[in-house]
Amino acid sequence: MLRLFIHSSAWLSFSGLLLLSGFLLYASWPIFSEQGLYFIAESEWYPYEDLFGMLPALFGSLLSVGVALLIALPLGVAAALFNIEIVPSCLQPWLRLLMELMAGIPSVVYGLMGLWLLVPFLEQQLDLLTGRTLLAAALLLSVMVLPTIMVLSEDALRKVADDQRQRANALGLSWWAVVQRILLPQAWPGIRLATLLSLGRAMGETVAVMLVIGSIDRLPEPLYNLLQPAQSLTSRIGREMGEASVGSPHWSALMSSGLLLMLMSVAVVLLSQRRWFK
Amino acid sequence: MRRLLFILLLSSLSLPTYAAERLRIAGSTTVLPIVAEAAKLYRQLHSGLTLTVSGGGSGVSVASVNRGHIEVGMISRPLTEREQQQLQGRVQVIPIARDAVAIAVSRVVYEHGVTQLTRQQIAAIYRGEITNWREVGGPDSPILVIDKEPSRGTRHVFAKVVLGDEWARAPGASIVTGSNNEGQSAIANSDKAIGMLSTAWLNKQVLAIAIMQNGKAITPSQGNVSAGLYPIQRTLDILLPNNHSETTGAFVEFLRSEQGGDIVRQVGYLPVQ
Amino acid sequence: MKWTIHPAKLLLTLVALPALLIPALALGYIVYQGGAVISWQFISTSAELSGFGASSGVFSQLAGSLLLAVGACIVATPVALGTALFYQLSNNSRLCHHLELLIYLLQAVPPIVYGLFGLILFVQIFSLGVSLIAGMLVLAMVLLPMLTLNNITSLQRIAIEQTDAARALGLTESALVLRVWLRQSRRELITGQLLAIARALSETAPILFTATVFSGVVWPDSLLSPVTTLQTHIFYLAQEGNHPQSIDVAWGSALVLVITIVLFSLLARALKPSGGNL
Repeated sequence: MLRLFIHSSAWLSFSGLLLLSGFLLYASWPIFSEQGLYFIAESEWYPYEDLFGMLPALFGSLLSVGVALLIALPLGVAAALFNIEIVPSCLQPWLRLLMELMAGIPSVVYGLMGLWLLVPFLEQQLDLLTGRTLLAAALLLSVMVLPTIMVLSEDALRKVADDQRQRANALGLSWWAVVQRILLPQAWPGIRLATLLSLGRAMGETVAVMLVIGSIDRLPEPLYNLLQPAQSLTSRIGREMGEASVGSPHWSALMSSGLLLMLMSVAVVLLSQRRWFK
Repeated sequence: MRRLLFILLLSSLSLPTYAAERLRIAGSTTVLPIVAEAAKLYRQLHSGLTLTVSGGGSGVSVASVNRGHIEVGMISRPLTEREQQQLQGRVQVIPIARDAVAIAVSRVVYEHGVTQLTRQQIAAIYRGEITNWREVGGPDSPILVIDKEPSRGTRHVFAKVVLGDEWARAPGASIVTGSNNEGQSAIANSDKAIGMLSTAWLNKQVLAIAIMQNGKAITPSQGNVSAGLYPIQRTLDILLPNNHSETTGAFVEFLRSEQGGDIVRQVGYLPVQ
Repeated sequence: MKWTIHPAKLLLTLVALPALLIPALALGYIVYQGGAVISWQFISTSAELSGFGASSGVFSQLAGSLLLAVGACIVATPVALGTALFYQLSNNSRLCHHLELLIYLLQAVPPIVYGLFGLILFVQIFSLGVSLIAGMLVLAMVLLPMLTLNNITSLQRIAIEQTDAARALGLTESALVLRVWLRQSRRELITGQLLAIARALSETAPILFTATVFSGVVWPDSLLSPVTTLQTHIFYLAQEGNHPQSIDVAWGSALVLVITIVLFSLLARALKPSGGNL
């Protein structure tokens, strides 16, 4: 009885990923069989003209996440180091608690702040046509993943053995040298894991990005221009899923956006778990 | 023990899976205010009924009625050929109000003198040929062109009249918004925006400009709309499946009654009669 | 002297400060904006006012959020527990490795992809429609990987000696599981449930198309009825809010949601047997 229960649960979990990818593949099959794989690299998305170029959304997703990590990673690691090395030890748990609670704040609340605080701010300060830009999405994402990066980096830094530090101190290394040569390299695998986890979370983030990115399917000009409205895979799915009629090429193309997102996050995990294959 | 508890909890939850009377309505956000207001009133009159209203857009209502996920759909544009094929005559389209799509601009632009444009000028703005308000007599600032999601009824009507084709592209667009409310707040929060809005959403921050036609400036006023002078207008309809229940039919009757007409006027549209 | 200012430490502090201040300011802003709105009446009533999205209270939204989250947790728990037990009982280390990798993969799948899957399978193929039960099932899938990982960790904390002693006494496998493992780890398991509920409360994308409507539900009368939730309420109001009043309601809802989530996380911390950091 118990065995049966345990085995069936395990099989249910095992089949989860298979079912997930199976259904998404089944739902997006029409678009692949009709248009091949080229549409992923095309840049025109006009569902009612049967043009389903994925490139702008894909590019928007990658660029916003990349910039977000570029901002959040140094800040988050610095905050973790700061909490361990500089903050008096009686305050450390409180700071960490604050960060852990921040990590739990729902993305829709960040979206609300993004739309009513960040977007008008950017619009005024940078004198933009509209504040709904790739930059707004990237900044919002960086604030969202910051607490996660900090908490996980702190865990990694704390795991660096004390005796190593003491030996380094005994050798007369300066504080900065200890941080640079002992702490950071030793904690690097943990920090890398934190980065990849945040990368996954940021890439799949939907509602917050959808509210601030502008949702226009166009590549920025020039490509590194963060101050223009753009599109991400998640925001497109969120905006258009309701309107597409089931089974139409449009619906199928949205499903394939979902499949693409899933493949990208799976790739990120496999990257982070590389040691498992050795 | 633990599992027993779970089984108990699960079964207690699954007991009431059959609903009493359900009436689910979804679709165009342009029609939403009418139906939402009517629903509030109707709920007070019929307490046994569960009446839910949600948005989503005209496209959503067709898809959901077709799948049987809702009892009544709201739509603010004619059905497309593809949609007519899908529905195969199983659904009636019933008009409940008339509405005009206003070309709305930010207050600053309006006060600077942009109070009327020709259809060609509006089209040029949406095609990206005019990109600065100076070119049409406004302030020297770039134009924030607000487009709408392609399934929205407001966009269909606008694109058909102004751009010539209901699915026409708008390469001049700067951002894309969804519902009327989202478009309205985007215009209100900017000082250089132009967008398309149902007239019920106009206010002091979001003003309608007149359309120049044969030398006459035509505003989307109630008089111009009911006289058929204002070019960008449409009926607001609901989709009612032929095999609807009595309760559903009664609610639709309510929408089309004198009382329904009052609600239509109250939220800023014109009744069909 | 301990307090001489080290230039590197100063630099670190300067980089770390924004990372600590921005989240704190964000939290402060929600409390500031929401605090002006919420009152007991705001939480405990749900009367609709005239005008789009205006309501004097968010009771039905709060109820909908909690129903979805608790329901999802109830659906996910047996499967997660079964899978964790399978992992612990299995002697096949290769299989365990694969199972663990699979759980990490499932965890990385973006919530919106689960939403798409739920839309195809539960809403359309099983024709559950946009309903409470569809939302619960989708959220349960989102929760499953984190609950499973949490349950595995909880079970691993049980001392090996206890298991060995129980086996030496001749306990059957089911007796071992029920009388030793589950009893020993029950507090940690409950902690896991509370954290899962907090996580479910913060998800918006998966339930946007599968469980929620804009208005009209005060208390869902069956599992097949749609609900309104705080998350989607904030989303609609943020996106479509036009009157200052509806934005006030959005901030109030955001504060209610954040407080609810924080309560669940703090409760989970308080129950955690090892006490965590605090």
